[in-house]
Amino acid sequence: MSMGKFLFRRTLQGVFVIWGVVTALFGMRAVSPGDPATLMLGQGATRNLIERVREEEGLNEPIYVQYFDYVTDLLQGDLGYSWRSEREVEAMVIERIPATIELAVAATVIAILIAIPLGVISATRRDQPADYGATLFSLLGISTPNFWLGLMLVLVLGVWYGIPYPSLGISSDLSVRFGIGFIDLPTGRRGAGFVEGLMAIVRDGSFDELLTWLRHVTLPAITLGTYFTALITRLTRSGMIDEIGKAYVTATEAKGLPGVLIRYKHVLRNTMIPIVTVLGLQMGTLMGGAVITETVFNWPGLGLRLIDALSIRDWPLMQGIILFVALMFVVINIVVDALYTYLDPRVSVE
Amino acid sequence: MISNRVKSNLRQTFRNSLLPKVGVLLLATIVLMAVFAPVLATHDPTRTGYFHENGGPYPPPGFDYTTTVAQGGEIGEVRITATSEHLLGTNTVGQDVYSRFLYGARVSLLVGLFGVSLALVIGVPFGLVAGYYGGRVDDGLMRLADVMLAFPSLVLALALIGVFGQQPIRIPDPIVMGSEYLDLGIASGMPESIPIPGSVTVVVALVTWVWFARVSRGEALSLRNEEYVKAAKSMGEHNGAILLKHVLPNSVTPIIVLATIQIAVIILIEASLAYLGFSGTTLSWGYEIERGQDVLRTRPWVSMLPGIGIVLSVISVNLLGDWFRDALDPNIEGSERGA
Repeated sequence: MSMGKFLFRRTLQGVFVIWGVVTALFGMRAVSPGDPATLMLGQGATRNLIERVREEEGLNEPIYVQYFDYVTDLLQGDLGYSWRSEREVEAMVIERIPATIELAVAATVIAILIAIPLGVISATRRDQPADYGATLFSLLGISTPNFWLGLMLVLVLGVWYGIPYPSLGISSDLSVRFGIGFIDLPTGRRGAGFVEGLMAIVRDGSFDELLTWLRHVTLPAITLGTYFTALITRLTRSGMIDEIGKAYVTATEAKGLPGVLIRYKHVLRNTMIPIVTVLGLQMGTLMGGAVITETVFNWPGLGLRLIDALSIRDWPLMQGIILFVALMFVVINIVVDALYTYLDPRVSVE
Repeated sequence: MISNRVKSNLRQTFRNSLLPKVGVLLLATIVLMAVFAPVLATHDPTRTGYFHENGGPYPPPGFDYTTTVAQGGEIGEVRITATSEHLLGTNTVGQDVYSRFLYGARVSLLVGLFGVSLALVIGVPFGLVAGYYGGRVDDGLMRLADVMLAFPSLVLALALIGVFGQQPIRIPDPIVMGSEYLDLGIASGMPESIPIPGSVTVVVALVTWVWFARVSRGEALSLRNEEYVKAAKSMGEHNGAILLKHVLPNSVTPIIVLATIQIAVIILIEASLAYLGFSGTTLSWGYEIERGQDVLRTRPWVSMLPGIGIVLSVISVNLLGDWFRDALDPNIEGSERGA
C-alpha cells in the first residue's frame, strides 16, 4: 500500500472518530441539566425573553433536528456563539491556540532533552547510583500531580530562593494572587509569544522579546513536562536494556565502533519506535495536563478557557475547545503512524 | 482464578527487589491511616476557627511567622509559633491540617476504589462479550473506544462534570458509629459521616472503563480459541456459562494489573478535579492545595502537606502496579493519567 493510500485510510478513520466526538459532545450538552436559554440570559431574564431565545436558537425543535443543525453548522466551520460573552466560538478558540501549543511544545522539548540522555545513562549504568537516581526521579515524576509540582516550584524557586524571574506565566493576575509580587505586564495583556519573539529578532535584531517569552514559559513547561520526562526516561531505559542484549550490538562492538556511537546511533534509533508511539498516545495527557498547568500559572491558553467555560456552563465554548483538542489528537496520531516507516524501515504502511 | 505460577512469580519478585516492599508498606500505612482516621485525628476535620489568639492560623513546627497586631493603640509585631494542640498547624479557615490530611486519604482511596470497581463492572463484561462473540458488538466497542480515547481523560472528566454536576455522597463512618460499642478512644465531635465526591466517582469510572473493556476484549479474543473453551462448547455449554467459568477466570491477571494502575490514575484525576473546584466536596487533598495557593508565600504548609499525601499514595499504588506487571508481565496499556 502506498503512503498516499495509507494516509487516506487513516484520515477516513479520523473523520469517523471526530464525528463520534461531535455526537458525544452534542449528547452531553443535551442531557446536561439547566436550560440553555436561561444559562445564556442569566437568572433575571423574563419568561418572554427566554421563550424568544429558545425559539431563535431552535431549542424548541425536536432533538434530532437540533443535532442535524449542529452538525451542519460544524461542517460549515460554525462553532456557534459563546452563551456568556456572545462572541464567536471559533475566534475564542483560535486566539488561545498559540499559547497552548507553545506550552505543549516547550514541555515536550524539555522532556526529550532530559529524558533521552537520562534513559541512556540509566540503561548503560544499570544498578549503579546514576540508575537508581533516574529510577527514583521517574517514579516521582509519574506520581506527582502537576498542579502541586507547579506550586512547589514557585514556592521553592520564587519564594524561598527568590529567583528574580516571573515564575508565574504570562499575565500578572496570578502573581498578585500569590502575593509574590512579580508584576511585569499589565493585567490581561498577553506578552510576546514565541513567534513574536522570533520576529523581533528578524526585525530589529533584539533578543529581548524571545528571552522574556523564555523566562515566562520555563516554569510552566517544566511543570507540564515532568510527567513526560519521567515516562520517556522509563521507556528509553527499558527499551535500551532490551536492545543492548541483541546480537547486532555485540557485532558492532566486535567491529570496534566506539560505545557512544553504538548507543546513540544504533541502539537509540531502535528504541525510538515505542517512545514515539507513546508520545503520540500521550498527547491527550499532555492536553489534560495543559488544562491544569494553565490554571496554575494563569497561562492564557485553551485549558484556562475550558475551565472558565465549564465554571459558567458555557457549552458551545466547551464543545469548541474539546473538539479542537480531539482533532489535534487524531491528527498527531496519524502523523505518528506515518513516522514509523521513517524510524523503522521494516514497518511498511500496511 | 490466579494460578500457582502467577503466585510464585509474585512472591519471587517481591523477595528479590526493594521497590515492591516499599510500595506495600507505604500503601498499608496510608490505608490504615484512612481507615482509622477518626481514631488518629485530633480534631473534627471540618470544624473551622482554630486560630491563634492574634487571628492567624497556627503554623506547623519550623514555619513560625510574625504578624502585625494592634496592641492598645500601638502597632506591634507578634511571633506566632507552632502549638502541640495542632501538630501540623491549621489552614486558612482554621481547620486542623493533620486531621484533614487523614480524612483526605479516605476520600482519595475511596474514590479510587469505588471508581475502579465501577469501571470494572462496566468495562469487563462489555469487553469480554465483545471479544468472545466478535462481529458487530466488537466493532462497535472498538469504534467507541477510539472515540473515547480521542478525549484527554481530564478533559472528558471535566465535560462529564458539566453533565453530572458536583453531587457529594455522605457515607456513614463505621469506625465512629462502632465506637459506641468499642472504646476506640475517639476524640469527641468526629463527624458520623464523611462526604465523598459522588459525581466524581461516577465520572472517573466513565473515563476509565474503556481501558478495562479493551484489555478484557483482548483476553477474550485469544481465549476463545483455546482448546478448553472449544471443548466446553462442544460439550454443549452455554456461551454465558463459558464466559463466566472459563474466559473470565483466565482474564483476571491482566485486569488486576490494569486496575492497580488505574487506581493511581483515578486518584490523580480526583485530586485535579478537586483542585479545579469541581468535585463538590471540600474534604479532599486536591481542594486543600487550591486553598493554600492564595497564601503560598505566607502559609506554605497549607498546600504542601496534602500534595505529599497525593504523591505518596500514587507512588505506593504505582509501585504495586510495577510489581504486578514485572511479575506477571501481561503486555498491557492504559496508563494514561489525568494530571
